[in-house]
Amino acid sequence: MNIFYELAFSFLKIGFFGFGGGFAMIPLMQNAAVYQSGWLTSSQFGAAIALGQVTPGPVAISATFIGYKVAGLPGALVATVAIFTPSLLCMYLLEKFYLKVRGNEITQAIMHGVLPVVAAIILTAAISLARQSPHYFWQTAVIAAVAALAISRRVSYGLLVAGSMAVGILMAFVRV
Amino acid sequence: MDRENPREPEGKKRGGLFAVLPSNQGPPTLWKIVRVWLKIGTIGFGGGYAVLDLIHSELVVRHQWISEQRFENMTALSEMGPGALTVNLMAAIAYRLGGVPAMVMATLALILPSFLLIVALAGVFLAWENNPFVKSAMEGLTAGVVGLLIAVVWDMAKRIPRHWCCFSVGIAALVLGLAFPVNPIWLVLMGGLTGAARVWLEPLFTKRAAKGESGHQKVGK
Repeated sequence: MNIFYELAFSFLKIGFFGFGGGFAMIPLMQNAAVYQSGWLTSSQFGAAIALGQVTPGPVAISATFIGYKVAGLPGALVATVAIFTPSLLCMYLLEKFYLKVRGNEITQAIMHGVLPVVAAIILTAAISLARQSPHYFWQTAVIAAVAALAISRRVSYGLLVAGSMAVGILMAFVRV
Repeated sequence: MDRENPREPEGKKRGGLFAVLPSNQGPPTLWKIVRVWLKIGTIGFGGGYAVLDLIHSELVVRHQWISEQRFENMTALSEMGPGALTVNLMAAIAYRLGGVPAMVMATLALILPSFLLIVALAGVFLAWENNPFVKSAMEGLTAGVVGLLIAVVWDMAKRIPRHWCCFSVGIAALVLGLAFPVNPIWLVLMGGLTGAARVWLEPLFTKRAAKGESGHQKVGK
């Protein structure tokens, strides 16, 4: 199959099933880009997510990185359009049927069932991301520090990501 | 002073259902919407709730294109849609302001800055992938992302409804995801079905329980 169709199909699927916020898409992208197709190595996928955090805008923009890696600029375009189209379609429908959906017991119940699953699959993705990168002690320290600071909500996500990159660069100096 | 006074009650009314647009402003033009969305897409670092504050200050406080009440309703609605909360919210607001064309154009404007930046960064990263500094920076970044993901899971776990059904479906998803190479989409579907089944099945149980209780009471009497 044409690589562009493959990209479009994969990311449409991810966009449609990414319930529970942008972070919910990370495990879906990991499954599609690393495990199913082998488009990216695990550490490249880590970079894709990390760069998606460095940029303004949503996490889903990591799809652009994956598309770019697979098929250059056209690939980046296809992946980006594909991952955001389901969002737009669903928001259009939700807006249309707003009053019906709002107080609906079933929609609420479905979201209540989805939430724990999303938490679980994000945790799974975090574990496999942590497992694949080479283990240095400082990485464990960064993981713990970032998690603690992010939970306390004292530091913004953007600063935390920039800080952990700075630690990484410093560590390169230490090793060299 | 004369001009200030008649505005007082209007200010007090704001936040009510009908205070969607202040009277001195018509609906924004497509060009204006695109410009504001482009701005938010450029400075919206940090994701999630940080960006939610930015959107609120731009659209509700500064431009007053939507009311406080509607902003809250739309945020709740956006949480139901798949994908990033901010993209959903911004798309829904743009649709309210200017229909489907505004929705599409504004979303493109919102994503464009990140798109350009990440294509540039991807180019640099893929060209310098084996440079020890780039490698080490990425190792730091990946560790940071793992930390963020743990924090996200923590926040989500706190919002899980206190019900054995929700906890068991979460634990089942975790075990299945760790033990087998299962596509997470199936797990999400499983969660949704469990949630729906709970609503369909629970009335049966509660009815039976209620009947049993009333029966007991009668026996007791």
